Amino acid sequence: MRLLIIGGGIAAVFFANNIKKANSSVDVTILSEEKHEPYDRIHLCRLVDESATIGEISLPLDPSVHLELNQKIIKIDKQSRRVYSKDAMFGYDKLIIATGSLPNAPSYIKGVKNAAVFRSADDCELIKDGVKEREVVLVGGGPIGLELLETLSKMPEIKKIFLLIRSNFLYDKNLSSEAMKIIEQSYTKEKKVEICFEDEILDTVIENAEIKLLKTKEKEIKNPFLIFGIGIRPNIESFREDLACNRGILTNTFMQSEDENIYAIGECSEVEKFAFVAGHVEACTQQARSAISHILQNEPQEFEPKTTIDMLKVGEFTLVDARSPKFGKEYEKVVISKENSVDEYFLKNRKVLRYIGINSNVDVCYIQNLIQSAKAIELDALYRAAKIGKRGKLVCGCTGAYYNDLVEIVAQNGVNSFADLAEFSQAGRVCGKCRGEVVKIIKESQHLIDASVVKKSPKDKELEKKLQEAKKRVAKFNKEHPHNTLDENNLDAALESMDIAKDEVNRWVSMVTANMQLHPKFEDIVAKGVKSLNKIPIIWLELADCSGNSEAFIKSANPAIEDLIFDYISLDYHELLMSASGDESESLLEEIIKNQKGEYILMVEGAVPLGLDGKYLRMGSKGETGIELLKRCAKDAAFVIAVGSCAFDGGVVAAAPNPTGAIGVSEALKREDIINISGCPTNPVNIVGTLLYYMMFEEMPPLDKFNRPLWAYEGRVHDNCERRGHFELGEFVEEWGDEGAKKGWCLFKMGCKGPYAYVNCPTMKFNKGTSWPVQAGHGCMACTEKGFFDKFANERVYKGDRE
Amino acid sequence: MKKIVIDPITRIEGHLRVEVEVDEEGVVQEAYASGQLFRGIEIILKNRDPRDAGLLAGRICGVCTNSHFRAAISSVEDAYDIKPPDNARIIRDLMAMALFIQDHVVHFYHLHSLDFVDVTSALKADAALTSLQALKYSKNPYRNSATHYTEVLAKLQNFVKAGKLGPFANGYWGHSAYKLTPEQNLIIISHYLEALKFQTNISKAVAIFGGKTPHPQSIVVGGVTSVADMLNPQRLNDYIFSIKEAKEFVERAYLSDMKLLATAYRNEIKEGLGRANGNFLAVGGYAFDEEQKLFSSGVIYGHDFSKIEEFDESKISEEIDRAWYSGDSIDNEICYTDLNEDGTLKTAKSSDKYSWIKAPRYDAKSMESGPLARVLVSYLKGNKLIKPFVDEFLQDTNLELMDLSSTVGRNAARAIESLYVCEYIFKLVSRLLQNIKYYNTDTWTKYDFEKLPKSAKGRAFFEVPRGVLSHHISIKEQKIQNYSVIAPTTWNASPKDKEGKRGAYEEALLGIKIQDVTKPLEVLRVIHSFDPCLACAVHVIETKGKELGMYKIKTL
Repeated sequence: MRLLIIGGGIAAVFFANNIKKANSSVDVTILSEEKHEPYDRIHLCRLVDESATIGEISLPLDPSVHLELNQKIIKIDKQSRRVYSKDAMFGYDKLIIATGSLPNAPSYIKGVKNAAVFRSADDCELIKDGVKEREVVLVGGGPIGLELLETLSKMPEIKKIFLLIRSNFLYDKNLSSEAMKIIEQSYTKEKKVEICFEDEILDTVIENAEIKLLKTKEKEIKNPFLIFGIGIRPNIESFREDLACNRGILTNTFMQSEDENIYAIGECSEVEKFAFVAGHVEACTQQARSAISHILQNEPQEFEPKTTIDMLKVGEFTLVDARSPKFGKEYEKVVISKENSVDEYFLKNRKVLRYIGINSNVDVCYIQNLIQSAKAIELDALYRAAKIGKRGKLVCGCTGAYYNDLVEIVAQNGVNSFADLAEFSQAGRVCGKCRGEVVKIIKESQHLIDASVVKKSPKDKELEKKLQEAKKRVAKFNKEHPHNTLDENNLDAALESMDIAKDEVNRWVSMVTANMQLHPKFEDIVAKGVKSLNKIPIIWLELADCSGNSEAFIKSANPAIEDLIFDYISLDYHELLMSASGDESESLLEEIIKNQKGEYILMVEGAVPLGLDGKYLRMGSKGETGIELLKRCAKDAAFVIAVGSCAFDGGVVAAAPNPTGAIGVSEALKREDIINISGCPTNPVNIVGTLLYYMMFEEMPPLDKFNRPLWAYEGRVHDNCERRGHFELGEFVEEWGDEGAKKGWCLFKMGCKGPYAYVNCPTMKFNKGTSWPVQAGHGCMACTEKGFFDKFANERVYKGDRE
Repeated sequence: MKKIVIDPITRIEGHLRVEVEVDEEGVVQEAYASGQLFRGIEIILKNRDPRDAGLLAGRICGVCTNSHFRAAISSVEDAYDIKPPDNARIIRDLMAMALFIQDHVVHFYHLHSLDFVDVTSALKADAALTSLQALKYSKNPYRNSATHYTEVLAKLQNFVKAGKLGPFANGYWGHSAYKLTPEQNLIIISHYLEALKFQTNISKAVAIFGGKTPHPQSIVVGGVTSVADMLNPQRLNDYIFSIKEAKEFVERAYLSDMKLLATAYRNEIKEGLGRANGNFLAVGGYAFDEEQKLFSSGVIYGHDFSKIEEFDESKISEEIDRAWYSGDSIDNEICYTDLNEDGTLKTAKSSDKYSWIKAPRYDAKSMESGPLARVLVSYLKGNKLIKPFVDEFLQDTNLELMDLSSTVGRNAARAIESLYVCEYIFKLVSRLLQNIKYYNTDTWTKYDFEKLPKSAKGRAFFEVPRGVLSHHISIKEQKIQNYSVIAPTTWNASPKDKEGKRGAYEEALLGIKIQDVTKPLEVLRVIHSFDPCLACAVHVIETKGKELGMYKIKTL
């Protein structure tokens, strides 16, 4: 399945990472109109004061997600499921719009050198350079404006800042005057900041794209730097024509727009049922989860607005704002004010709908529960709540992690770094605002880790391992000998009795010797061992393929192909080789499926096209689609083996822009138990070897994370390469046919992808061990790896996914 | 009129369906060949670096793999006017020619012979008699001892006894169209098994210079990468000996079996069964020096052997009226009209679309391409190299040139060509050795990609095992803007065009009498004689590409 995400912000990245986590085989592409890789907008202030680089605030993106930058989407073609930018076209099965918001600003600032909005990294660049040695006029006293004000006020190169506010309140119009005073004072203590209430810009004099003079009701400022932080609106202008929109793109509670293949998440969407437009990371991520559950048809997670928590930690004050989605214009308010702290509760019918705390000690999670539960309360309770509990203060509003929770996690699990923490808690990883604080807690708690406590001694561990191995052996024996099972509870005795197994003649040896003229004495032994010489029935399906793997398969050498297909396996259905055609072949297929239920192995070559309802591929007199045929054959197969890269993940057929919506077999069948033998084509040694494993050891081999047999796919090409010595010596081919090429030097600089490929080509080679691409002087293109045609199939040095 | 649907057509590459309409006598009155898989490789090629075209276009087909790999790279070289060194061209030719031999042998024995050979009849053969009979078709038949035939018989009997027929299950065994004696059947079955070994060994010849096959990986824009292999005397020798071994089989088994077939199926040949419209197209190629080429180029119309026209690439055009495409705008390039409710092709109206294969035309005519076209054109143009090979075969089988234009004749042309290629490979490999002997070891022509023209157009024409292959590329801003492929099977399996002119498969099927409509063996014979390769055949066309005035072939 091809997923296309428009937008490069938190919602887009969260969606991409999480859908990849849920199903690694979906093909995900992010189209971002920015020139930067996705970054965390929450930390934009750090770009202004240069306390961080864009790299440091970048959002980690799953490496298998394709990222296209500088792609502003201008048109959607819902019919053919494509989107267009100025110079490119992208196809999709599902489209996710996550374009976020646009900042509000008057149009006259466009192109003006000394004015900016504050929404993107490019804006920060402009602000950073523009504000130096100037008087800054910042318009807007909401959360965005206040956060930026804090940053600007600390920058020594700025002389003066005017915060222009049209109304007479800071942060939120519902805030009490007590609270507002604390905030105001914290900024204006230094004389650098002047807050101008009930003031606005009346006129500007612009010359040569520069504001020379700015007139407000109260002031005239020459040559200022002007910044607008006056709010945002959903960024949906490109989609208004094609999709139903109100404030944002209208969606159902699974974030699906009126077009079933298009979803909208985050700030650009509006959930119609609640008239809800997201403004918080938490809501955006929740929306992403809802959409993912719907697209993958997992357990449905309908979106429902929840109580949100906002924190504004600015210099001398900390503001916490917990708000129910039901909060509206009508409320009663309780304000509990102390010297330098304020707790404000907004109630309706004795139910708390919102809480704002300044420098408060209140347990925010308690308040959050209070709001969420919508229980009527006594006012007294509010006074009692204002105490920090045993868990200390709330650190991460997104995950509800308290100070002491984190300290305990660190101490008990020996967490040494932020990366280590991920296994235990997502604190600091959701919106990222508290990341710095979490890192600090980890650092400060290191002394609490008890170095002397080792959970298990090496001896215990070894013993446990031995026990597990013994159990595994006995279990396997019992499976093979259903009438002579060993007692799994008495392992010692059981292991002794397992010697019986040693005397049996292995099934494969029996098969090989069955049609040989052996010495009579040996024949007798073998005859006893012969359990079943039934050749394994095999159905080999070719879907959207090039027959490359079939061609490779018939070049098997050990055993030779003629022995293999006539003596050891029963290649009952293989369209390339079978004599029967048309009706005769169709009825043959039906018979195998019916009569050898659960016995036959299904080998599948080729991708599964899902576009056009699967009709890009049709087979048989009734015009069955590829996907239908695959499902029919897979249902009763003992095993399904996906042979080659197209069957693995769609391969070349699914390479961008994946015109036929092709996917691999495992994804098409929605099954996790498909064995993959990737490669383009796969080495026949790996197909036959896997069948041999099955015949010798009567089970399928252990698999790697992509379900590929470990015996073939564990080693890295680079590590086993015959040219590795030259790599270590720094001897590289620099151009085709040069002296190094003649001497067989390392091909890394010619774009060899051996360091990224896991397969046994260097040791097994191809065509009876004749050669392999590195020996032929070309280098590896990692054809066994996911999405290799879009990543690795070229002769240039790989520079990571963000090339 | 009765409609017979054959789907899947097995023993070919890919997904082909054939529908024929027969009268009460079982004689084919109308035929439809339909490609049933669309992948859109050209769409995938768009917007990529032209240097990456080879690795990707190679995946058009795993059977004809190095043909597409090379053609793609050559079309880029043509666009940029880069001339690879002589050594690189020879190495590419050596890989291509080894593929000719491998492909032809696999095609006849494993994909086609069972249309002429009855496996169950072979079981009744007498081993000693078989050994004797084989001498009729060759002075020195391949593995011709009675003990060998006894072993083959035992293997077959074991196989049948076990009740698991594997690839031989559900064949049309016992069909009255099978004409061979048990002994003749046994000879070819014996070679069927030997050919399985043969194709494994000959593929080593491709892998020596290609790294592997299918999908070799040693051709790059400007040359080849396998210079170390070229400089290794043992590798060169391995190649020569692989071909030497292959020639033994081709001469003593493949060609003699073809003589056997031509004798046994003489009536069918003389009746012209499987003959198409007699329009043949060949582009020639594989030069030994400035003057001599392995194959000549030319065009024949309507079996008029007296007049061979020069091949002119500007006469190629493509039509899509009966294929599942439409060319009005980029949004509608695919125009799938589905099958009928009962699963049959929509063919009721003369405008109905029924295939993923487009219809290439030469001078507005449908053409046959392939070994038969190559042999006829080369022979009639007086190519001295091929003449003795053709004459000898016609003499031994008492046939005329015209007889080759038939189902069995197509196979004969293939076998003649195989032996011919085997012999002349030695001349080519000799030229490579002479180059190295005099210290010419260049395998790559240097160029600076950044300094190449940002926009360019190129194309490459090749004779490949199944016929004429052409790749056409248009480059803009150093990215592939448009790509188009016409493969041999695109020519041969073409659907009808807007004037109702049939493709070669369809033409060849007309007038064939099917004895038992439930067992359409005769149809398989005709279709298989072309060696269909469907993955190759299906390519998009986009008629919007007007700016490509350079060719009539319109690339997407």
